[in-house]
Amino acid sequence: MLDILVSQVANGLVLGFIYVLIAVGLSITFGLLGVINFAHGAFFALGAYVAWQLFQLFGWSAVIFAPPLVGLIGMLVEVTIIRRLYGKEPLLSLIVTFALALLIEALIRYIWGADGKPFNPPPFLAGIVEFGPLLITKYRVAVLGTTIVTLLGLWAFLAWTPYGRILRAGSRDPEMVELLGINLPRVLTAVFGLGCALAAIAGVLAAPLWTVSPSMAANAVMPAFVVVAIGGLGSFRGAVVAGLAVGIVTSLTIQFMPEAAAASMYALMFAIMLLRPRGLFGERWERFE
Amino acid sequence: MAKLDMNRRSFMRTTAGVAAASAIGWGRTARAQSDGPVRIGMIYSKQGPGAAIGEYLQRGSELAVEQVGRKVLGRPIELVWLDEPNPQVSQQNMQRLADESKVVAVVGGNYSSSALAMMSVANREKLPLILTGAAASEITGKNCSRYTFRTQATVPVQMKGLMPYVSQIGKKVYFITASYAFGQDILRSSRALLKEVGATEVGVDEVPINTSDYSSYILKIRQAKPDVIVGGLVGGDFSNFLKQWNEMGMKNKIPYAAIAVTDTDFWDVGPQASTGIYVKPWYYNNPKNTAAEKKLIEDFRKKYNEPPSDKTWSGWIGMRALLESIEAAKSTDSKAIVTHLEKWKNTDGEVPFFFRDWDHQMVRPAVIVKVKENITDKWDYFDVLKNTSETEAETAKAFGSKEEIGCNMPAL
Repeated sequence: MLDILVSQVANGLVLGFIYVLIAVGLSITFGLLGVINFAHGAFFALGAYVAWQLFQLFGWSAVIFAPPLVGLIGMLVEVTIIRRLYGKEPLLSLIVTFALALLIEALIRYIWGADGKPFNPPPFLAGIVEFGPLLITKYRVAVLGTTIVTLLGLWAFLAWTPYGRILRAGSRDPEMVELLGINLPRVLTAVFGLGCALAAIAGVLAAPLWTVSPSMAANAVMPAFVVVAIGGLGSFRGAVVAGLAVGIVTSLTIQFMPEAAAASMYALMFAIMLLRPRGLFGERWERFE
Repeated sequence: MAKLDMNRRSFMRTTAGVAAASAIGWGRTARAQSDGPVRIGMIYSKQGPGAAIGEYLQRGSELAVEQVGRKVLGRPIELVWLDEPNPQVSQQNMQRLADESKVVAVVGGNYSSSALAMMSVANREKLPLILTGAAASEITGKNCSRYTFRTQATVPVQMKGLMPYVSQIGKKVYFITASYAFGQDILRSSRALLKEVGATEVGVDEVPINTSDYSSYILKIRQAKPDVIVGGLVGGDFSNFLKQWNEMGMKNKIPYAAIAVTDTDFWDVGPQASTGIYVKPWYYNNPKNTAAEKKLIEDFRKKYNEPPSDKTWSGWIGMRALLESIEAAKSTDSKAIVTHLEKWKNTDGEVPFFFRDWDHQMVRPAVIVKVKENITDKWDYFDVLKNTSETEAETAKAFGSKEEIGCNMPAL
């Protein structure tokens, strides 16, 4: 019994980390731009498709360029569309980003076709590893490693670099940051791009596990929103803890109560919302009160 | 928090607005149908996870129209294609086809839930409807309708073809099925057949639809050590499962058997992850395909530079049956079309097939296929093992008797 539990938890962690990556991007975009980006999942799918295209053209090593490319596309979208939503009624940004999600999905279908694209783990990551009772595939270990490195890097960037400080300050008091002579619009463009690039990293990592199809984001975005709600909107720490909790709870529910698998993360969200309506690490944000 | 609450509420309002807008629709104006073009409706998915399937179905129907020179009764055919995103909108689209486009009949409906919703409109509007998918038993069973016909074999019929094969592989069966009507239908009918084929159940997982990660289920299956898995996952869920089944090194360890799959499920995941034994309505590389079917394959290849999937065949045969029945009826009157669809019979191949007049189910053998050991062609993934039945009498028996089906067909 123990061996299967250990394996279930480990696989749950992998799933959880993918959710964390999606949720962190969502959270950062909301924290700094005040926009709940419904199109976040579309950038996740775009990440998978760009990775597939790069793989077809140049092989495995080119895949790492997918997230920066999607980040660039995100910045373009920010400059042309998202920028106009700042400070406007929140409802407007919901509608516009929702429409954007549909548009990107339609564009993917137009460019790459409605069929899915075969995409498997690279040959050097095929196979299983067993550490004692733990059974996990090499590819999932790689996913785990990549996500942890990405999240640590992001955390270090936000905590220790001057850019990170500007971002954190800008999320709390944009007027003051501008008064200090910082070009905030340009910072916001970069932030939106960063959020999209994070979604794309998740998309690239998920591509060999999930079917690469235009609507692949649908299954990933809902859990990401749940993760953000549990962790607390705008909280980096919260997203990590909540994402891992959702992953583990889901996989253990499948082991013991499969009929409740889909409901388990919502039950978790419900319980946390009752105890802490702001989410686990949600703070009081003057801007949004 | 107050702000957030407002967001949530306004979000609800927005979604409701979007739904209402898509429901109203900005259709074309109605035109009479006595001597102008003959308008025929199609309801196939245009977006979301079903978009690829919808495209193949639509291409099949379109080809059937092209093959008759886009004319029926000497009048030009006009096709109107609307979306099948979910039961509500499919039903509304069916209503639009009746009210706004004034179509003479509708071909379409891939999902049982949408099909059942569309059937209610077909009944009310007395509009002939040929379903090209939708395997749930009740469609031609207790909910059967005079105006609805169906090309796809029901779940119990397909399971009857598959289970004897499953028991040849091994006696310990693990079920992994989608947890909604279709998956439950599979579970019910295969459990009923377990004893008959001498197999036992060692585990069952009913998986919520739109599940993306199957690793936890696969770990459970590994632990249960079954001889064979009987699956009932559909579309993207099925593709996700196959990919992770391969990723977790299970591909050649435990065989997987299922029904109601389509070629695109496998084309989407590629040769590396494809495996299993399946019951399908049709396969393009089956030596037993008829001359007309070979013509379909040839025309399709010419137009799209790839072979047709079984969904293309379904869309094609549904439209073909309709066009031939309109010609035979010499009229676009709905009652005349229904009467002639009931008499329609295809005698191209060894086993003739037709819509049974007392439940409107197409009675036709399906094929049992196995994924090739070595897939070398981009499209050709299967070896055809055999048909689910070989003679007309055997086929009729497999589709069940009037008492088993339980359809009380109302008068026209």
